[in-house]
Amino acid sequence: MRIVTSRPPARHAAAKASVPPSAQARFTLALAGGKAAGTASRVLRTGGGTSFPGMVARRIDPRILQKTAAVNNASKLVVTGSNGKTTTCRMLAALARAGGLSVTQNRSGSNLLQGVISAAVRGTDLRGRMDAQLFLLEVDEATVRLVAPEVLPDAFLITNIFRDQLDRFGELYTMAKGLEAVIEALPASATVVLNADDPLVASLAPGARARRLYYGIADDGAGLREPEHSADTIRCVRCQHMLSYRAVHLSHLGDYECPECGNARPGLDVAVTAIRPSQEAGSEITIETPAGIFALQVPLAGTHNVYNAAAALAGAVALSFPRPLDPAEARHAIADLRPAFGRLEEIQAGDRKIVLAFVKNPTSYNATLREVLRRPGPKHVLAAHSNTVVDGEDFAWLWDVELEQLVPQLASLTVSGTRADEVALRFKYAGASPDITTMLPGRSAALSRALNETPPGESLYIFAGYTPMRELRGVMQRRGWVRPTWEE
Amino acid sequence: MTTPVKTVRICHLYPRLLSVAGDRGNLFAIMQRCAWRGIRFSVTDADVGDVPDFTKSDLILMHGGQDREMTAAARDLAEKAGPLREAIEGNAVVLAVCAGYQLLGHYYAPAEGPRIEGIDVLDVVTEAGPTRFIGHVAVDCDFGSGNRGQLTGFENHSGRTRLGSGAEPLGHVLAGGGNNGEDGTEGARYREVYATYLHGPVLPKNPWLADHLISRALEHRYSDVGPLEPLTDQAEAQAHAASLRLARRPARRWRAASVGGSRIRRRPLRAPARARTKTRPANKETRWTSH
Repeated sequence: MRIVTSRPPARHAAAKASVPPSAQARFTLALAGGKAAGTASRVLRTGGGTSFPGMVARRIDPRILQKTAAVNNASKLVVTGSNGKTTTCRMLAALARAGGLSVTQNRSGSNLLQGVISAAVRGTDLRGRMDAQLFLLEVDEATVRLVAPEVLPDAFLITNIFRDQLDRFGELYTMAKGLEAVIEALPASATVVLNADDPLVASLAPGARARRLYYGIADDGAGLREPEHSADTIRCVRCQHMLSYRAVHLSHLGDYECPECGNARPGLDVAVTAIRPSQEAGSEITIETPAGIFALQVPLAGTHNVYNAAAALAGAVALSFPRPLDPAEARHAIADLRPAFGRLEEIQAGDRKIVLAFVKNPTSYNATLREVLRRPGPKHVLAAHSNTVVDGEDFAWLWDVELEQLVPQLASLTVSGTRADEVALRFKYAGASPDITTMLPGRSAALSRALNETPPGESLYIFAGYTPMRELRGVMQRRGWVRPTWEE
Repeated sequence: MTTPVKTVRICHLYPRLLSVAGDRGNLFAIMQRCAWRGIRFSVTDADVGDVPDFTKSDLILMHGGQDREMTAAARDLAEKAGPLREAIEGNAVVLAVCAGYQLLGHYYAPAEGPRIEGIDVLDVVTEAGPTRFIGHVAVDCDFGSGNRGQLTGFENHSGRTRLGSGAEPLGHVLAGGGNNGEDGTEGARYREVYATYLHGPVLPKNPWLADHLISRALEHRYSDVGPLEPLTDQAEAQAHAASLRLARRPARRWRAASVGGSRIRRRPLRAPARARTKTRPANKETRWTSH
């Protein structure tokens, strides 16, 4: 299978008119341009420079990523998948730093091509040399086909494949084919780290040369018997027969077996053997790996974060950093994590608390709802979605979210974003009374209104898509409640 | 006011298998709009291997799914085909969306792999096209006797469906691809079968169609069905208007035109999409293997 390569070098009028500079000069110029763009956007406060530098740098030298990857001998780890990329990368970075490795990574979910190049620009000097020993990239699952051939990762980690913006990616299986092409192009020296509990991920590119490392949950007591409604891949990838599960941990993730053809979850190299609720929010987990047994305290609530921790540890094992991973160091590194911005992030807004949740598909939304419903008290909610290039055009997936379970606890509801209409409709049919619902498409006005509905001392829960979440966070930043995301 | 409480008996076909794009919202729409009016309902889920009694169904729902799921559904539907066809001939109401629509036709030919056989309820055939129709759609429908309205929703399919002489279109596209991007038709209608490519889901933001289905489902069972009690459809109207705006924004119209060419030109049913497959680009991106 052939890898779809990135688009050919863009030539524009200015570059054509001048004498073509040598490859190194162009590379340096691109890095300088990118760095200047990053400084400019920070000084002008137009944003954190998470994607603009990449745009400028790539415009000057379309092969910038390839060149950066080629001149450095940092370990390169690319993380992709539908859910958990950002948190997994945060955990990986924490593990690496705990072992004394320095890390260059893309930030704040800027996981499209420009965000990746921005990270490369920021992490290198003008000759393209990188100080960091680990180049860690979180890459969007559709963009990874473009990034991987240029970066040539030493390890490639896939967290899971959920239905996520079908209007952008076509269908799940189409995306899976793209990922297979990436895996098949990896050399035998590389490692592909796969979530064994995801039937689709585990079965990707079985004949590829790269070493395979499987992670998953082996504590059956923690799971359910039946997949929930929004489960995606519940049929056997080989023969289409309904899979039977010994345990379901999250959506279609679990210990599965096909009664028809025998296709079953592969043996786990990195296995979560015990999950216990932790004293604080989160879980105490035991993970058995080829590099030893680890007892981690995951401070972030939910089974999805157990998967993220297992993925991060598996990635660390795959690259065998830092040296042999030290269990005590690893425990500290993970226990000290705070939620990534927008992952049930708690923000103090005067005498009220805001709990900000980034939701992008039924799985992440349902996982978030489960955590929110566990908390006592009536729920004041602001729900916002907008149609953008990043968030997609199609919000039908909202109808696969179990909002019916939230409605009995719902005390007030404000809907916002350019598709506030769709959100309002979904909540209405979930049973939310129009009497407690307010529709305010403007983000700032909606936030004020929603906070107004929330009595002092209580919490406002915000469920928002990527763009409205960034906008709402921007409003909170202007009001002095949070720091800019790029300073974290 | 002693009219006995009426019950709509709903059969949800393949709720797990064909459930990819939030289409279960159609079921929620029927349930809530019945509940708000004091009409009772029962819902029977029928998955692979289940044998529902279609003679006891007033309203049958069948939604979208991906190719693999559709293949599995087709295999099972072949066994349910006899009783289902009988129910349809007895004017049971059916809403079929996307893959569900294609399965009621003669066949669906994917880009690769064997043809998926339908159950011949609708005189339509579907073949995978070189590109995918993805976007908002607006459709003008006229079911006769005053049942007229606009439908709006979101399509996401590469299947090109062509209607034979035995099927009527559900409506005509005002914006979007519809059945095939060429003849201006969207969906199909036969007796009380309403088939469409529209996700969204289609019923919540098109409450008039939801109510039409409820009325016809009641008529399927009772002889004394009056007009339905009107509801305050403010949220529905807002969502409908927003979706209509998105469908009709200029960029979308341009895309539809570039994909489908002239949308009012009619082509004969048997003019296959093969002429265009020769020019199919080798780019993997466009070789969708789905319906």
